[in-house]
Amino acid sequence: MGWEEKQVRGYPEFVQTAQRYHGRPIFALFCGDKDAEGKSWCPDCVTAEPVVRKELHNMPDESVFIYCLVGDRAYWKDPNNEFRKNLKLTGVPTLLKYGTPQKLVEEECFKVELVRMLFTED
Amino acid sequence: MATLWRRRERFLGVLGRLCRTVRALSGKNEYDLLVIGGGSGGLACAKEAAQFGRKVAVLDYVEPSPKGTKWGLGGTCVNVGCIPKKLMHQAALLGSALKDAQHYGWNIAQPVHHTWSVMAQAVQNHVKSLNWGHRVQLQDKKVKYFNMKGSFSDPHTIRGLTKAGKETIVTAENIVIATGGRPKYPMHIAGALEYGITSDDLFWLKESPGKTLVVGASYVSLECAGFLTGIGLDTTVMMRSIPLRGFDQQMASLVTEHMECYGTKFLKRCFPTKVEKLEGNRLQVTWKNTDLGTEETDCFDTVMWAVGRAPDVKTLNLDAVGVKTSSETGKIIVDASEATSVPHIYAIGDITEGRPELTPTAIAAGKLLARRLFGQSSELMDYDNVPTTVFTPLEYGCVGLSEEAAVQCYGSDNVEVYHAYYKPLEFTVAERDATQCYIKMVCLREREQRILGLHFIGPNAGEVIQGFALGIKCGATYPQLMKTVGIHPTCAEEITKLHITKRSGLDATVTGC
Ligand SMILES: Cc1cc2nc3c(=O)[nH]c(=O)nc-3n(C[C@H](O)[C@H](O)[C@H](O)COP(=O)(O)OP(=O)(O)OC[C@H]3O[C@@H](n4cnc5c(N)ncnc54)[C@H](O)[C@@H]3O)c2cc1C
Ligand SMILES: NC(=O)c1ccc[n+]([C@@H]2O[C@H](COP(=O)([O-])OP(=O)(O)OC[C@H]3O[C@@H](n4cnc5c(N)ncnc54)[C@H](OP(=O)(O)O)[C@@H]3O)[C@@H](O)[C@H]2O)c1
Repeated sequence: MGWEEKQVRGYPEFVQTAQRYHGRPIFALFCGDKDAEGKSWCPDCVTAEPVVRKELHNMPDESVFIYCLVGDRAYWKDPNNEFRKNLKLTGVPTLLKYGTPQKLVEEECFKVELVRMLFTED
Repeated sequence: MATLWRRRERFLGVLGRLCRTVRALSGKNEYDLLVIGGGSGGLACAKEAAQFGRKVAVLDYVEPSPKGTKWGLGGTCVNVGCIPKKLMHQAALLGSALKDAQHYGWNIAQPVHHTWSVMAQAVQNHVKSLNWGHRVQLQDKKVKYFNMKGSFSDPHTIRGLTKAGKETIVTAENIVIATGGRPKYPMHIAGALEYGITSDDLFWLKESPGKTLVVGASYVSLECAGFLTGIGLDTTVMMRSIPLRGFDQQMASLVTEHMECYGTKFLKRCFPTKVEKLEGNRLQVTWKNTDLGTEETDCFDTVMWAVGRAPDVKTLNLDAVGVKTSSETGKIIVDASEATSVPHIYAIGDITEGRPELTPTAIAAGKLLARRLFGQSSELMDYDNVPTTVFTPLEYGCVGLSEEAAVQCYGSDNVEVYHAYYKPLEFTVAERDATQCYIKMVCLREREQRILGLHFIGPNAGEVIQGFALGIKCGATYPQLMKTVGIHPTCAEEITKLHITKRSGLDATVTGC
């Protein structure tokens, strides 16, 4: 049946979506917000996104891929923001398999092999 | 049709193997280095070799425990050893700190209660994140990882088998065996395998083990019994002879003496004869008390065997290639360069005969081996003066020779032992008993008084001993240590103040500030 993508912005939307698909494999990519031209304030996110997208076909059947914009730069830099506090994110981009310790942070998301490993290993 | 197909497959399989053997004979192996076993030693060796730009692969496979427990990449230390052990030890230490805290003015409603499942979940999550971290590192360093059980089919060829039974043949120029060991079961005791668990299971239990009997008096036994007691469980250690064989026996007795005061029960000079299951899932253990010549029984929720560890060399099919093992222990015999009886096959870590079974020695041996193989180094691993710590409720750290070993080596007339009973400052306000807080330094008696061994029982023993290990490695002497200024107020400073010799017979209790 393949996989589907959900695009969300902000923590509450992320949590809602993750809950809605509870029980299915959920992968999430967290990136900085994009401006009017569609460019993220976070250059590493710009680099990572195409790498990750190219590997999405490796996700197991029934997977949900949540593409989550975390907010603007000021919100993200707040050490107490909900992503940092509740999801223990330490940087953007972060690609993770929800509910597991498996994640890739920043430059790790640029590496095809690592991204593929995250999507394929259990 | 199906048979034909299968026959075709088998034919191709044989052909494939033939081709590879030919390749092996022509000296063209797939990998420069193949490591069997992705634990402390194996991973370190593989990653180091990859740094030299070599083609490296690691095979790791976890055979589930008889109880069905299994885990991820990283070996014993990460999954069922040092890491979960130290974290659960920390859980127990926090329990003691909560008791102390009241003396220091904290209002803590008594009795406090510990929830096993919360601790276990947190520890297991951390371990899983380490498993993932190892996967990422291998991938990042371009080390090929096979989740397969390896066995030799010829000196350069390893047959890997996945859980599903799929076979892969890997050839390599050099092969390192780093498959470690697993807990033993006393197979002659009825019910031992059926109803007992080992340390491989303990750290992965979802629910509290409840009232527990730990059999054995090794490191593993005392550490596990210590933290189980510390988190409030009714815990008994059954010991057939001495505690901590191989360690300084005066120190070992102090460790168990403290555990008894701490609440761990000891059944001394007892050995189990059978384990039976009663209604309600309780386990009835029967044992012989050799002092009284009687047979005794009691009921427990969990029985854990900590009667030693053994390597699984059978799977490796070492006979096929002529790698020699010790007939007594089954471990692989290696020389100073970690080479086995077959020149391009090496072994490191717990699988090797006569080496310390410790993570840092396995890591160091693995790295040095990779550097010798690919980095033009000739440096050998130095196994002398390896420091270690037993993480019992009151920790015991040591480096160098025990008093017994020093006396045996040099004779009692040539050995001077300095010692002290001290009281950690933080114990005073908390009204904690410090009877077993003890330090002993074993020196040569001749003029320069080189330090042969240092033994410390007290809080944070590992942190205390680590730095002193450097000094002792460098050949530190007693006068040099006396010139070392202490850090006040600490427990470690007591080491710099040792001045009472055992020989003098004077009271070794440290008084005042
Ligand atoms: C409870 C406990 C607590 C410990 N605490 C400490 C401590 O505090 N400090 C310390 O320094 N040491 C401690 N140790 C010892 C330490 O864990 C070991 O010395 C260390 O892990 C040895 O590393 P190794 O590389 O030799 O083997 P291991 O780490 O055991 O790795 C071997 C790996 O090889 C795999 N394997 C086995 N056979 C095959 C095969 N045929 N094919 C493929 N893979 C295979 C195994 O599944 C395993 O993953 C403790 C051990 C235990 C049991
Ligand atoms: N903190 C650390 O660094 C740490 C922690 C844990 C382990 N380790 C390493 O792991 C290694 C293995 O340790 P280990 O503790 O598993 O094994 P071990 O040192 O071999 O000890 C085995 C223990 O079990 C007892 N025993 C054996 N057979 C028995 C039986 N049938 N019935 C009752 N008791 C029996 C032995 O008693 P006897 O003495 O009478 O034979 C001994 O007390 C150690 O050498 C250590 O280096 C390190």
